[in-house]
Amino acid sequence: MSEFLRRNQVLLGSGVFLLLSLVLLTVNRGRVRRFDPLGAVFLEVLRPLQAVTTQTTGALGNLWTRYVSLVGIDAENRELKLRLRSLEAEHRRDAEIELENRRLSRLLDFQGDVPSQLVTARVIAKDASGLFQSFTLDRGEGSGIKPGMAVVCADGVVGRIAQVSPHASRVLLISDHNSGVDALVQRTRARGIVEGALNRTCSMKFIKRGDEIDVNDVIVTSGLDGLFPKGILIGRVSRVTRKDFGLFQVAEVVPAADFAKLEEVLVLKSPPREVNAAIDALERARATPEPTATPTPEPTPTPPPAVRRHGTPPPAPRASPAPAAHSPPAARATAAPAPRPKPHA
Amino acid sequence: MGLLTLVMIAAVCGVLLETTIFHLLPLGPVMPDLVVILCVYLALREQSVVGALGAFLLGYFVDSFSGDAIGLHAFAMSLIFLLVYLLARQLWMDNVVANVAVVFAASLLKALSVALLLVFYLSADYPWRHLVSTVWIEAAIAAAFSPFVFSVLDGGRRVWGLD
Repeated sequence: MSEFLRRNQVLLGSGVFLLLSLVLLTVNRGRVRRFDPLGAVFLEVLRPLQAVTTQTTGALGNLWTRYVSLVGIDAENRELKLRLRSLEAEHRRDAEIELENRRLSRLLDFQGDVPSQLVTARVIAKDASGLFQSFTLDRGEGSGIKPGMAVVCADGVVGRIAQVSPHASRVLLISDHNSGVDALVQRTRARGIVEGALNRTCSMKFIKRGDEIDVNDVIVTSGLDGLFPKGILIGRVSRVTRKDFGLFQVAEVVPAADFAKLEEVLVLKSPPREVNAAIDALERARATPEPTATPTPEPTPTPPPAVRRHGTPPPAPRASPAPAAHSPPAARATAAPAPRPKPHA
Repeated sequence: MGLLTLVMIAAVCGVLLETTIFHLLPLGPVMPDLVVILCVYLALREQSVVGALGAFLLGYFVDSFSGDAIGLHAFAMSLIFLLVYLLARQLWMDNVVANVAVVFAASLLKALSVALLLVFYLSADYPWRHLVSTVWIEAAIAAAFSPFVFSVLDGGRRVWGLD
């Protein structure tokens, strides 16, 4: 027996690790909070290296570009060149600070408009493979970030937190083919699910065939998936595909956020239901400037639909765009085209 | 165990490159896969349970920085280790051409196993266009890089006295 084990130790060991991988896949199937004993350690180990590498490559990239643009200057102007270089270095620093200032100001504006607890985080790395689309952020559990939280930027929806460690976290982007966000066409309130595609765009599926949707229509979150607050900009429709048969039509959506250039993001710590309630309160306050005697009924909280993840089927399309009687958020989304605090459109 | 440590250090460098530098290159959706080279290296140089553990850890490490399915790459890497190990028992693999060919095949196998797991085990969507269009290029890049990575690791072994 021991001789058999010794001779086949590699085969048996590999079998055990293959089985262990399948166990990990099975255990984490369809779960937001993952059983991932080593993931947080790996994230923590690589976080400082990723942060330093990203900063260094950014600085080197700037330096290289500027150097190439200065190569052609005549030698007679050496003195001027030196002065120019120092001024340019100063200018680069200022420009960088100004750009950062603008970005952060936009984030602050956005933060002021979304009634939620937000955490600002920097993007320090991107996905390790070409198949998936995710970012690593420099904030983690220590800043109150948890798996499943929504991530947005000043331009719109970014994704959701997939993994956290004490000082870092990873975001699965909405353009990843395993992402799904419950969405609305802002103009016509048509519902659908925005899913990622590999070509860095998204597609909005399960739009009823009879619903009106056109190129350049603005797509916003519906707030019904339990992840994102209602009314956050997702993107614009670039193409609509309606086949000769089938119940639904599909729209190609270009995300509003430019993921290639994203440097800072906001993580929404408050549950979307709280955010939606706050948005409702704001909308009511704007709609009725004078206080009325009739109290406005509070929205009844409804259980959010399951978040789409590996192993779970896509959310079932709604049979009718008409709101269910017990579902005030749906009623808001479909019947009340009230202005959002931050329309982004 | 020394070789495993060396390979894990190389994996940290590889994933660091993949997550920060490679995204700056104008490669589109193509992402050179350095970790699969390390997995093949382990299967050829560390034919023991420690090697199998190393392959699993390499995959787990990639899972921590890619997508949201833990175990996906761990399975793929363990499978690559097993198949390359079995192949190495039958064929003479101690030359550059064989190594390059094995890395190319391993990269394709990884992509295929990830696709099949996603579709049939996790019932998730898989962009098949990716498998047809970019995976070949990724495999070719990994194969082209493999002699360099192998020589660096062999040099590391000599420096660390692991030969």
